[in-house]
Amino acid sequence: MQPSGSRASVSSNRDKPADYVYFERTSAGFSEAAVHRAKAAQLKLEHYYKVAVDAAIERNTRRVEQERKLQADVMMSEERKQRQLLQLGKKESTFLRLRRTRLGLDDFRTVKVIGKGAFGEVRLVQKTDTGKIYAMKTLKKEEMLKKDQLAHVRAERDVLAESDSAWVVQLFYSFQDAQTLYLIMEFLPGGDLMTMLIKYDTFSEDVTRFYMAECVLAIEAVHKLGFIHRDIKPDNILIDKDGHIKLSDFGLSTGFHKQHDSSYYQKLLESGNAAQSPAAAARNSVMVNAIHLTMTSKDQIATWKANRRKLAYSTVGTPDYIAPEIFQQKGYGNECDWWSLGAIMFECLVGYPPFCSESTHETYQKIIQWQYHLLFPDDVHLSREAEDLVRRLITSQDRRLNVDQIKKHPFFYGVDWDVLRRIDAPFVPHLRSITDTSYFPTDEIEQAPAEAPVADANGAQKDLAFLGYTFKRFTISSQAF
Amino acid sequence: SPASPSPSKPLYLCSPFVEAALVKGNFKTIVVLPKYVDIMEWVAVNVFDFYTNLNEFYGVITECCTQQSCPTMSAGPNLNHTWINQDRKSVHLAAPTYIDYVMTWVQNLIDDENVFPTKSGHDFPQSFPSTIKHVYRQLLRVFAHIYHAHYPQILHLRSEPHFNSLFAHFLAFGREYELLDIKDVKGAANAPVGTGMLWEKWKEMGILDA
Ligand SMILES: Nc1ncnc2c1ncn2[C@@H]1O[C@H](COP(=O)(O)OP(=O)(O)OP(=O)(O)O)[C@@H](O)[C@H]1O
Repeated sequence: MQPSGSRASVSSNRDKPADYVYFERTSAGFSEAAVHRAKAAQLKLEHYYKVAVDAAIERNTRRVEQERKLQADVMMSEERKQRQLLQLGKKESTFLRLRRTRLGLDDFRTVKVIGKGAFGEVRLVQKTDTGKIYAMKTLKKEEMLKKDQLAHVRAERDVLAESDSAWVVQLFYSFQDAQTLYLIMEFLPGGDLMTMLIKYDTFSEDVTRFYMAECVLAIEAVHKLGFIHRDIKPDNILIDKDGHIKLSDFGLSTGFHKQHDSSYYQKLLESGNAAQSPAAAARNSVMVNAIHLTMTSKDQIATWKANRRKLAYSTVGTPDYIAPEIFQQKGYGNECDWWSLGAIMFECLVGYPPFCSESTHETYQKIIQWQYHLLFPDDVHLSREAEDLVRRLITSQDRRLNVDQIKKHPFFYGVDWDVLRRIDAPFVPHLRSITDTSYFPTDEIEQAPAEAPVADANGAQKDLAFLGYTFKRFTISSQAF
Repeated sequence: SPASPSPSKPLYLCSPFVEAALVKGNFKTIVVLPKYVDIMEWVAVNVFDFYTNLNEFYGVITECCTQQSCPTMSAGPNLNHTWINQDRKSVHLAAPTYIDYVMTWVQNLIDDENVFPTKSGHDFPQSFPSTIKHVYRQLLRVFAHIYHAHYPQILHLRSEPHFNSLFAHFLAFGREYELLDIKDVKGAANAPVGTGMLWEKWKEMGILDA
């Protein structure tokens, strides 16, 4: 059989096998779509085998570990050991079934919309066949592609998928349809630190110590995974059913977008200046302009507070907690997260973040010139240790404390870092049911039904951009999905 | 003899294409039943994956596999598979029609909660092993047709390492769980399956277990 349109020839080359064939390849006879599909099929298969090998190794590790653990246990009866191994097999089998399961929106029932973000929303959902409760975050592909967030969505999925840290919100599944990415995460019923701060205004130093200490360990855990969070703010610090914290939202916020796109910051900064430029002033040389309306700092804080949640929902996001080096094109490392922690700590103790302003561009200006704007109000009493720690976090990159220095700081005197997550939290949510959403501002969020997916003609191209996004976690600890 | 080059020797048996592979090493690591795991779940998920991956590659060459180019479901120089229709009659179909029937049929089975259960608490039906053997035989025919009729196109699209590995994996898995009949893999003496020789060759080369 000779292929048509190609030149195959048997080789006469001596070092090659006798049946060596030269084949001249060309994609000339194929449609563009076919060439594209071929590439996609190759990528998918490469991904498939990588995952298959990894899964085999992990499965094996889990089994060997379990067998060793049981072998070491001299007290347990043989029968019980056998049962435990069968149990492991059951979980592995359920996990395999999960891989075949094409999860879709219709496998989940919305209980309530509990959060909003820049690219979608967060819902409390119940999986219909098992009745289990999850938080489902949706992200619009179109928006992500438009805003060039691909790398970031992968970053989030990767952190969530790779970590099984107690400090990071667990991701169980991710799936997609033509329009939307879905993250099915553990539901943290206690709400977030932003909601808590809106409710309580400030925390005592003891309570602040607890949350800050937990944040230190959480941020450290993220850094150990090789990630920089870059967008730590009270909205991303979630509270679990026992009142302990977990971090969420890795690299998706507009905050992140801005951090990467420094020209975006530049534009914002310039737009702020432009309003006061001579040209603008000349054009608007009306008397009214001369009257400079300044708010008292009290009014300013009130405005900031009133707008706080709106800001969290907007695509602009809040820059209040972002370190200056991030939007100064200076390059940054994971120390930027410690700045954010300093800003959050300030807010916990004082009631508003250190650089809050009426407008975002004013906040940027203040952060860049933090030396002049980091002011501790006279009417709030802070301990010397607390103020010192804030000042050693909200400072230039090179002088900022690192994680070990933070842990040893006098503010944390008496904190037992090894057992932190096991002690009683200062606020433990009172929950009446597994679907209790009283810690979420659900009446402030539009309760629209989830949009059903519609077929999309250029779905294939978009899908490839999100290749490997779909994820299913093997969970030893929790019940089958 | 198969070792001596002849103009009629299929390209997929020729060097360097016969050695091309995406996955190197023994397929055993990803084929053997993991300890304590339910064999039904293991076979189900793997067949699901073979179907998905094969479908992906067939999708690439659909524009080359037409009623005109492939009026029969050929799998060797003297071998055309026939489809058994609803009246249990065997009918000749063009390859694209035949493959469309196969893929639709398998997709429907996979989507059928009574055949491939996915919900918690649902069990596999008693007939599952025999259903899987049917599926396996039909998927084998699709592989065999692509090798026989479309290998040059696979080469043009630089997909032979991928496609070879997928097929080798499929054969290794089929052997392990007795989902393949030797006579389906090799065909009859007067009407051999082209890929039967590939199977022999890969065994010789150690890519597949003898
Ligand atoms: N796993 C979860 N459990 C409970 N609530 C959650 C969970 N994940 C998110 N939320 C709620 O939804 C809100 C928005 O979530 P998140 O910050 O992840 O969204 P986002 O789209 O990334 O928003 P942004 O990028 O603007 O920060 C959170 O502040 C929190 O109140």
